Amino acid sequence: MIKPLVAMLVVAATLAVAAGAAAPPTKTPGVLTVGLAMPSAGFQVGAVRGRDVVLAKGFEIDLARVLAGRLGIPRVRFVNEPLHSTLLTSGRRDWDIALAQISITPARAQRVDFSTPYLRADQGVLIRRGLATKPRSIADLRSLQLCAERASTGGQLILDRIKPTRKPLLLENPSKLSYELFTQRCDAIVFDAPALAVLHRQAPDRYGALVGRIVTNEQYAIAFEKGSPLRARINTTLKALAAGGILTRLQKRWLGTSTSTLPVLR
Amino acid sequence: MTPKRRVLGCCAVAAATAFSVAAAGAGLRAQSSPAATSVEVGFLQGEQLVYVKRPGSTLEAAVRALLAGPTAAEAKREITTQVPRGTPLRVVSLQGGVATVDLGEVFATGTRAESLTARVAQVVLTATRFPGVRSVRLLVKGGTPLGIFPGVVTRYPLTAKDVRAPDAPPPSPPAPQPPGGQSADMRALQQRLAGLGFLPATAVDGRSGPQTTSAVVAFQKWARLGRDGGAGRATRAALQTAARPTPIRAGRGRHVEVLLDRQLALLIDGNRVTRILDVSTGKPGFDTPIGSWKVERKEERSWSVPYKVWLPWASYFVGGVAFHEYRDVPPSAASHGCVRVPRWDAQWFYRQLPSGTTVTVLARS
Repeated sequence: MIKPLVAMLVVAATLAVAAGAAAPPTKTPGVLTVGLAMPSAGFQVGAVRGRDVVLAKGFEIDLARVLAGRLGIPRVRFVNEPLHSTLLTSGRRDWDIALAQISITPARAQRVDFSTPYLRADQGVLIRRGLATKPRSIADLRSLQLCAERASTGGQLILDRIKPTRKPLLLENPSKLSYELFTQRCDAIVFDAPALAVLHRQAPDRYGALVGRIVTNEQYAIAFEKGSPLRARINTTLKALAAGGILTRLQKRWLGTSTSTLPVLR
Repeated sequence: MTPKRRVLGCCAVAAATAFSVAAAGAGLRAQSSPAATSVEVGFLQGEQLVYVKRPGSTLEAAVRALLAGPTAAEAKREITTQVPRGTPLRVVSLQGGVATVDLGEVFATGTRAESLTARVAQVVLTATRFPGVRSVRLLVKGGTPLGIFPGVVTRYPLTAKDVRAPDAPPPSPPAPQPPGGQSADMRALQQRLAGLGFLPATAVDGRSGPQTTSAVVAFQKWARLGRDGGAGRATRAALQTAARPTPIRAGRGRHVEVLLDRQLALLIDGNRVTRILDVSTGKPGFDTPIGSWKVERKEERSWSVPYKVWLPWASYFVGGVAFHEYRDVPPSAASHGCVRVPRWDAQWFYRQLPSGTTVTVLARS
């Protein structure tokens, strides 16, 4: 039932804007053009014809629609870049904003401008079904059969911080990881918290609970071409959305759990 | 690290997968006009896709019949669909063996992986069942789906083999759990459960563990007590006075009764219940079909095509509905229509059910 929710938010925002400042300038007047790099489960999936997105849904899609509504921009157009990296090259683009779980790094900040973050990403811990006791701390994780993707942040975290008594299984890719959690060969997996929330949302019968997060503090932000006039207005709007609980609602709807409210495992 | 869906690798083994069921209603209609040919349409029953016949002679007729869904008579036999009601057909065409099926936005509704994956299997296996169709280009609202259907790469035309091939390795044994402590009390409990048929005699070892818990749950289901798996006061009192369960219906020879209200399977020889198994049957909307059936197909390692999961030690008894091993046998109905058997009993139970064994599914016991 996201459509009524988004429609409601957009209408309320448009009314508020009508009384205040005019819509900010966009590449095509009256249209917010959004660059995507589909697919990413929960965040942005859809259907494309060439570069044109004919159907889009997900957390970032609704976020773009709500932002446009709040800024008083009547239409949103989504365009898809086949490669994530092309969203981050320097120079002039035909989109106004790029949304694709882009995490802020100093290297990227030299080529594009970033908004204030709309999502903080930590490492999450998802347990298997039927695990007798729910781990509540890093110490509780030590005796479990832990698994992570090979050469990943999660794998490194297991070795450096959790230091389990049983040798962790490091698997080739995320789908193997989730499969071995389902087969109960792994007691718990450590992976990007938002991705785990989506996994749990898509197949709640296959896994146990998302028990918590271990803070790594990655930040997903909107990218603009350097010097974009939209940035200041979008930052103000993003802060208002966060303060009003809208970001949390969208996150719950599309990603399953608001990972920033998960308990921190220490 | 950015979460990105990966292209899944495929295993070499292609499990046999779809089952034809005689669709009584459609069959009669087809017979009434001898000139009409029929098309086959893929619906779901239990953990598998089954084909039913519909009158018609074109690919479009087959796809339209799929979108229309099962008939009332089929629904009574728990034949279901995961294609959302009211999905519009935008385009269906066939060129050079590649069918293009373009469906309305409704087709992409939902976030549950199992439903989204199953409906793609239905479209692809319905279209490729039509003579001359080798692969299917699936479009939604005129565009190529990206990431809408988890675990299925819809960027390129899909063949029947693409959707049937297992994309996960067969299940590996679970991590060994440290054994519980031995106690005389536990041994006495196990002996009592074994004496009543809830636990095999070989499992009496005086140690607590999931198998004993499951046997206690089975007893609690039979005695209509709370299904918590703990041998509390009420359970122990009931165990004191309990007698070995007896069959619900009269029957002959080796047969099985599945009791949906109690979530139990009774293995019966003549009039004696030899074992009572803790099982989980179809959840609401996926009910295990009530009636008298026969084991018709056995697969030691079966792969669920629509839901993409391994089903070890599967004995199919109606369409895609089987007894099979599953890691998780919760105390209530949870499956897609199949009868989940706990892993410690699955292989043994498989061996007890030769093809032709009668399986009676009862709503009430």
